[in-house]
Amino acid sequence: MRLTLHRAHLALPVALVLILGCLLPLLLLIAFSVFTVDMDAFEMVPDFSLANWAQMLTNPVFAFLIGKAVLSGLITALIAAVLGYPLALSIANLPIAWKGIAQILLLTPLYTGEIVRIYAWRVVLGSEGLINAVLEGLGLVDEPVKLLLFSPFTTHLVLLYNTLPFMVLPIWISAELIDRRLIEAARDLGARPFEAFTRVVFPLTIPGLGVGLLAVFALSAGDMLTPSMLGGTSGATPMAMIDNLFGTAFDWPLASVLALSLLITLFATASSIGFLLLRFKGARAVLQGGLK
Amino acid sequence: MTRGMTLTFTLAIGFFYLPILVLALFSFNASSLMAFPLSGFTLSWYADLFGNAAFLHGFLTSFLISQPVGILAALIGLLAALALSSPRLAYRGVFIFLIVLPFLVPKTVLSIAQAMLMNWVGLGRGPGALIAAQTLIAIPFATTIIAATVIRLDKRLEDAARDLGATPWQTFRRVVLPQLKGAIGAAYSIGVILSLADLTISMFLAGRTQPLSLIVASQFRRELKPDLNAMQVVVLLLTALIVVASEVYRRSRARHRNTFAGPEDHA
Repeated sequence: MRLTLHRAHLALPVALVLILGCLLPLLLLIAFSVFTVDMDAFEMVPDFSLANWAQMLTNPVFAFLIGKAVLSGLITALIAAVLGYPLALSIANLPIAWKGIAQILLLTPLYTGEIVRIYAWRVVLGSEGLINAVLEGLGLVDEPVKLLLFSPFTTHLVLLYNTLPFMVLPIWISAELIDRRLIEAARDLGARPFEAFTRVVFPLTIPGLGVGLLAVFALSAGDMLTPSMLGGTSGATPMAMIDNLFGTAFDWPLASVLALSLLITLFATASSIGFLLLRFKGARAVLQGGLK
Repeated sequence: MTRGMTLTFTLAIGFFYLPILVLALFSFNASSLMAFPLSGFTLSWYADLFGNAAFLHGFLTSFLISQPVGILAALIGLLAALALSSPRLAYRGVFIFLIVLPFLVPKTVLSIAQAMLMNWVGLGRGPGALIAAQTLIAIPFATTIIAATVIRLDKRLEDAARDLGATPWQTFRRVVLPQLKGAIGAAYSIGVILSLADLTISMFLAGRTQPLSLIVASQFRRELKPDLNAMQVVVLLLTALIVVASEVYRRSRARHRNTFAGPEDHA
């Protein structure tokens, strides 16, 4: 019995590391957000002021940037779900010997560096890149398609590339966990393949889909590098603005206000997605089964 | 498998590997312009690479930083996974929230908040800060990987060891740990890989340290040159080597575990 007691205690050092390294800096933002900047000394001073929060609420640029990030995250998550779902099911149906290879193939994009991915896509999509060369070679276009690079299209394509594995993996795992006999039973009872899918397979994979949606949303809404390096003029993000306020303008209080507002909006959106998904019967059944 | 599924899988692999293939293609292309049509085969970009002191130094820096990140991530992930497997863990929800927090918070925001904290308490940025911050980012991944193996362990083996008089530490050391070696290796390699892949954290916390990703990013803002392609291909191959080695190791451990755990595991 003492062993289990010891194991639970292992959580303490881990929690301590995460509180110090992760939670504390974020909580500090709350304190900084009500401080003021001494414009003469270019320093932050602990004078209480709500001016930064007032600016956050009244200046439409901030709300616009945050709204844009949320929207971008939602769009990427939805596209990733539509593309990732069939991919996950097709991997779940591969012969066992192939699954390990599929996993390595699927995860490779994650193993390449952030900057490598951005760089590679610039080479693929540029005016003299692969796509334009193929399009021109086929005679489909007369001059390079400029819209391929430095546009919202580029941002979302590369965000999708970065995050698709995070959608596929959890759906794949939840598809693997389905008891095949349930599908056979549905078929024996006269369900057509499509019906067996909508009534049995889909509801049981909703938890995986939910995890995928949340992961892709968090990763793509919070990505600064992809929009700023590939999005061109459309690449402004709240993260880049925070970076600017922090690094260039030395306005830490305003940077903190914007960071907190972004975090609150992201968590609220993510919770809403989670809440909506829990309304599905299948999701509840799997989660309750898992808690037993 | 239906034709539709084969097609889906093939298209996905094409999408994932397209940018990587194009990089590799241009790294052997005998022109400093990255444009089609290709102009011929050369290895000179790779030769240039070995004469580029900044690249080599950056690579060494990145490698030296990635090692402690991998080891720490595996160690913390192991502790977290063992704690999660205990039915006695109190505040389970809070603990899980803390573990996924580094994944959910945008990296830029987290790194800036960490930089502010460090500045405020007077700590300098540099390799230490970079290692700590990259380890935090790797914790959700390392924990998930090890926890997935821990929940599948046969509890009866531990009970048997305890019945035979083993102390809790002996039970862990002789029964639990050997079964987790593969997962711990995988957690270590995900830590190393995430560290090598990182640019965002380095931008804010590296201080004067210059990991490879920062050097590449500053080059990238100026001009695209094919020796960058060659370097990316080398980094990719090294990463692939880590991935394959860790997968082979994990599988050999899994086989070892199966023969060890008895026939139930094969059912």
